[in-house]
Amino acid sequence: MADLATDAIEVREGVDRETVETVQNMGSYKYGWDTEIEMEYAPKGINEDIVRLISEKNEEPEWMLEWRLAAFRRWQTMTEPRWALLTYPEIDYQDQYYYARPKSMEVKPKSLDEVDPKLLATYEKLGIPLKEQMILAGVERGEDAGEERRVAVDAVFDSVSVGTTFKDELAKAGVIFCSISEAIREHPELVRKYLGSVVPQSDNFFATLNSAVFSDGSFVYVPPGVKCPMELSTYFRINAENTGQFERTLIICDKGAYVSYLEGCTAPKRDIAQLHAAVVEIVILEDAEVKYSTVQNWFPGDEEGKGGIYNFVTKRADCREARAKVMWTQVETGSAITWKYPSCILRGDDLSGEFYSIAIANNMQQADTGTKMIHLGKNSRSRIVSKGISAGKAQNTYRGLVTMHPRATNSRNYTQCDSLLIGDQCGAHTVPYIEVKNNSSRVEHEATTSKVDDDQLFYCRARGVGEEEAVALVVNGFCRDVLQALPMEFAMEAQSLVAISLEGSVG
Amino acid sequence: MLEIKNLHAELEDGSKQILNGVNLSVPAGQVHAIMGPNGSGKSTLSYVLSGRDGYEVTEGSAKLEGQDLLDMEPEERAAAGLFLAFQYPVEIPGVGNLTFLRTALNAQRKARGEDELSSGEFLKIVREKAKTLNIDSDMLKRSVSVGFSGGEKKRNEILQMAMLEPRMCILDETDSGLDVDAMRLVAQGVNALRSPDRSFLVITHYQRLLDHIKPDVVHIMANGQIIKTGGPELALEVENSGYGDLLSEVG
Amino acid sequence: MMADLAIRESQAQAKPAAGDALTQRLAVLPHPASGITAAARQDALARLEKMGLPGRRDEYWRFTNPGVFNDPVPAPIPVQTDANDSPLFEDIDRLRLVFVDGRFDAAASDALTGEGFQIDLLSAAEATASHWAGEVYGVLEANGQTPVSRPFAALNTFAATEGVLIRVSGQVARPVHIIHRRRSDAADVNLHHVLLLEEGSEFTLLETGMIGARSNIVIEADLRAGARLHHITAKLASHPKVGIGHIFARVAAKAQFKSFELSVNGRMMRHESVVDIAGDDAVAHVAAAVLGNTADGPFHHDNTVFITHAGERCESRQVYKKVLSDGAVGVFQGKILVKPGAQKTDGYQISQSLLLDGDSQFLAKPELEIYADDVKCSHGSTTGAIDETALFYLRSRGVPRERATVLLVLSFLAAALDEVENADLRERIAERLEEWLMHRAQNDRTQNPPA
Repeated sequence: MADLATDAIEVREGVDRETVETVQNMGSYKYGWDTEIEMEYAPKGINEDIVRLISEKNEEPEWMLEWRLAAFRRWQTMTEPRWALLTYPEIDYQDQYYYARPKSMEVKPKSLDEVDPKLLATYEKLGIPLKEQMILAGVERGEDAGEERRVAVDAVFDSVSVGTTFKDELAKAGVIFCSISEAIREHPELVRKYLGSVVPQSDNFFATLNSAVFSDGSFVYVPPGVKCPMELSTYFRINAENTGQFERTLIICDKGAYVSYLEGCTAPKRDIAQLHAAVVEIVILEDAEVKYSTVQNWFPGDEEGKGGIYNFVTKRADCREARAKVMWTQVETGSAITWKYPSCILRGDDLSGEFYSIAIANNMQQADTGTKMIHLGKNSRSRIVSKGISAGKAQNTYRGLVTMHPRATNSRNYTQCDSLLIGDQCGAHTVPYIEVKNNSSRVEHEATTSKVDDDQLFYCRARGVGEEEAVALVVNGFCRDVLQALPMEFAMEAQSLVAISLEGSVG
Repeated sequence: MLEIKNLHAELEDGSKQILNGVNLSVPAGQVHAIMGPNGSGKSTLSYVLSGRDGYEVTEGSAKLEGQDLLDMEPEERAAAGLFLAFQYPVEIPGVGNLTFLRTALNAQRKARGEDELSSGEFLKIVREKAKTLNIDSDMLKRSVSVGFSGGEKKRNEILQMAMLEPRMCILDETDSGLDVDAMRLVAQGVNALRSPDRSFLVITHYQRLLDHIKPDVVHIMANGQIIKTGGPELALEVENSGYGDLLSEVG
Repeated sequence: MMADLAIRESQAQAKPAAGDALTQRLAVLPHPASGITAAARQDALARLEKMGLPGRRDEYWRFTNPGVFNDPVPAPIPVQTDANDSPLFEDIDRLRLVFVDGRFDAAASDALTGEGFQIDLLSAAEATASHWAGEVYGVLEANGQTPVSRPFAALNTFAATEGVLIRVSGQVARPVHIIHRRRSDAADVNLHHVLLLEEGSEFTLLETGMIGARSNIVIEADLRAGARLHHITAKLASHPKVGIGHIFARVAAKAQFKSFELSVNGRMMRHESVVDIAGDDAVAHVAAAVLGNTADGPFHHDNTVFITHAGERCESRQVYKKVLSDGAVGVFQGKILVKPGAQKTDGYQISQSLLLDGDSQFLAKPELEIYADDVKCSHGSTTGAIDETALFYLRSRGVPRERATVLLVLSFLAAALDEVENADLRERIAERLEEWLMHRAQNDRTQNPPA
């Protein structure tokens, strides 16, 4: 009977057997365990001394410290933005730890072999292989079947980078992939040139805080003409309690280069909300292309809204020169609060900016997420596809800006944002800003809001699929435009996440 | 009627040369067909003749009854008697089919120094002609092409042709997307308009339309040139053996 | 007298935070001191002082600079000597109410009587001991101040010097037509109309003409169960208009509210439509066709719409179309708010602009905020130039370029005009609009002869 059901389902668009099986096999938030490991903390709270301490722990040069201090002084004059459709208690910024690292990381391991086995085991358990030559489970690519798909990983545990794989092989291609703290020490000329050039220190409250206290994160430089030989990935894990994670990622894709970058995140289940304020800056030069994919799976809090990550993230790509391309893809299933607008500054001519998003909010989750497409140069194309799913008592908002400056002639934007409601206690909202200042450009925005289609649900159930699985199937179908934009292994992870995130949303 | 000499045209941005010296002469009262593979320049020829933006004539001439077409605005070409039946007629929501027809007809009459038709006269004529094309009054009342089926759109083009009474009619792939019955109806409409002082240029990929609209002369077009000219039998030749043989024969 | 004192006191208590701008604005604002609306006016003043005048950083004024509405007195606009009433509705049977610079002109107007409705002037009602409007005046405006504040509406409720109070009990076929005229260059006009449509009644309100150097108009429309209101405001004359208008409608079960605006040129115009669909099975349609170039000075036209669905199985439509050229700026802020429990809501919103040249701008914020699941809500917004293929098609049929452009502009506006339910009125509007467009096209040609 079950077989019959899945067979029947496979003919339906956008859904597949994996989803069904995943739903059947998995419990709810599966990354909620923690690692018992001896940690070293900076004192609670934030002040200039803490900023100095973070800088010192990272063995940073003086200029970096000055940069941080300038940001900190600026931050003290700023107020937390409250314009998003988010309700959360006031955050006490003095009641957080701003630096936490495993004791074993005090002396920097020279290679992965020297890393504390407990840490390696943590990532193993998360399904993130830190041993080189391993492949992500079950991944095979159609066109070059048989060949192993390799992904280089930078693993960040609370405030520090634990290790980066495939560094040597990447170095042979000229690609620099390391933690940002290492880049500050080893490649200061690149970091000084580009850090803060896309997201300035003073950009917004959370980005400024990050500029002051970021502890680690990833750094990527792809030299001119190089197609990065493998996908790069950073895996963020918040483990310690009461600890904010403030990672900073800087990606520079030089002329004619290409890189695909994946980001994943998880955190243990804890009763108290944790703060996460990251900054991602991407610089893309002439003819270069960057794909940035995120599967955000922070702990979303429990059914009553206790705990979870407060996620305030600034992500921005700057297409500085002609024919540059950027593609953001995000699957947002985690976080109690999401405040996140990965954006594209389309500065050169003939550029392409794309944003694909799935945001799922269940139980008491709240998400306010979207993008900005800022068209400054001529003949550029941008595309926004956003799929928001609300269930339980969650609130889910798409917020976006499309602007065509007077000189951004002959450009196009197409925006499609769809919302799906599951249950009558949740909310789905759309807040687009559209500013068109020349007439040779064309801007189209479409949005729809509806509930899960009863006919589709009934069809699935009539074929023997349980209600919850049926919802997951239908939702995966609803999201297919975005799922298709993800790298293969992420797409599969995302499909199962969709299913898991919606557990308990019906009945 | 229509004299095309050594016509060269490229895309306005200079990226591609499409017409490479077309020579064509269509005498009054004749029906000529142009056949050719996709990308041969057939549709471009119809656009260049009717004055669509986006093309630059670099060499050659095109004259309608001695008047230089290439110097004229599209509406002047229409008033001079040129009519292009579109492959994809444009939908204009909110503009009634009748309003549109009357606007076009009176604009042309005015341009030629003729009196405009009164509302009553106009309606009488349009109803008559619509009837022969099986166009009901509902279609006349609706917005131009909005909600029309493929066949209705093409019949509507022929109705416009009948109303505007052009001297030189170009039919651009009028058969595309039509089933046999719809095609027969359109062809009947066209045949009814054949007269000694009116000429037709029928652009088509397939021979089947020419079963219904019998051409006097058939031209084969490839790479932006007329590569072969003959009688109706040429169309049958294409039908039986495709374009490949003809192209290699010439090439 | 007491009311007057009270107002002055609360004025004196205005917090500095509300801004000196408000104090200055209020200082020169004449307002009726007493009468049936005195209490409502005091409440409005208290609201206004609490919210203050909007500033440039106010999110609700993101796209429109409120400066000209904040100024204590308007900049004078010379009266055009040849200005005539709009011929738009001239030969239809209607009850004409003529206002000159915001003052009622009884001699030029028809008698204030009609079958199926009662009509009074606000100024006359103020003097009576009791009037139905005393209970209604300012109520919908006050309700419409959350979740977004609308200071100029509160200012209007406080300061309106005149208005029309209409209570409809029957099915009224004959429209009431408010005709505005200008005599003075510097008139600052604040009018406040109240419409109460009793159960099952039907009514049509038309508005035309230029209003002062600056206008602030509020219409409160209370539609009881099954009532139907048709509202058309048409500003066809090319004239440097400066004005802000609010229409607050409450739509009860099975009632239908339809409001259409036609606006051509101007200088700085903002129209806010605030519709509360309170009952079940109700319908609200709001639409506008706006055309602007800068022949009468900088053109800025803002439509701000807020539709709240509280009832079940209700339908709302917003259709906004703007044709802009010569550096004209069009703004659309539209929101559909579906409250919890407003199931089976069908909400639709479209905002489109046609930019005829490279200097014009369209700024839009089309919002959905939805707290019920069994709904069908959608919005679309597009901006772009005229469709070259359609233009060529028309020209290839012999229609000259300028006429073809006019036809395509009309085609673009058609969906907005379709919201005028009465076919006769709709056709009149379309015809006048076409005439105006052709006239403008010919003017353009004489000014810029083709090369």
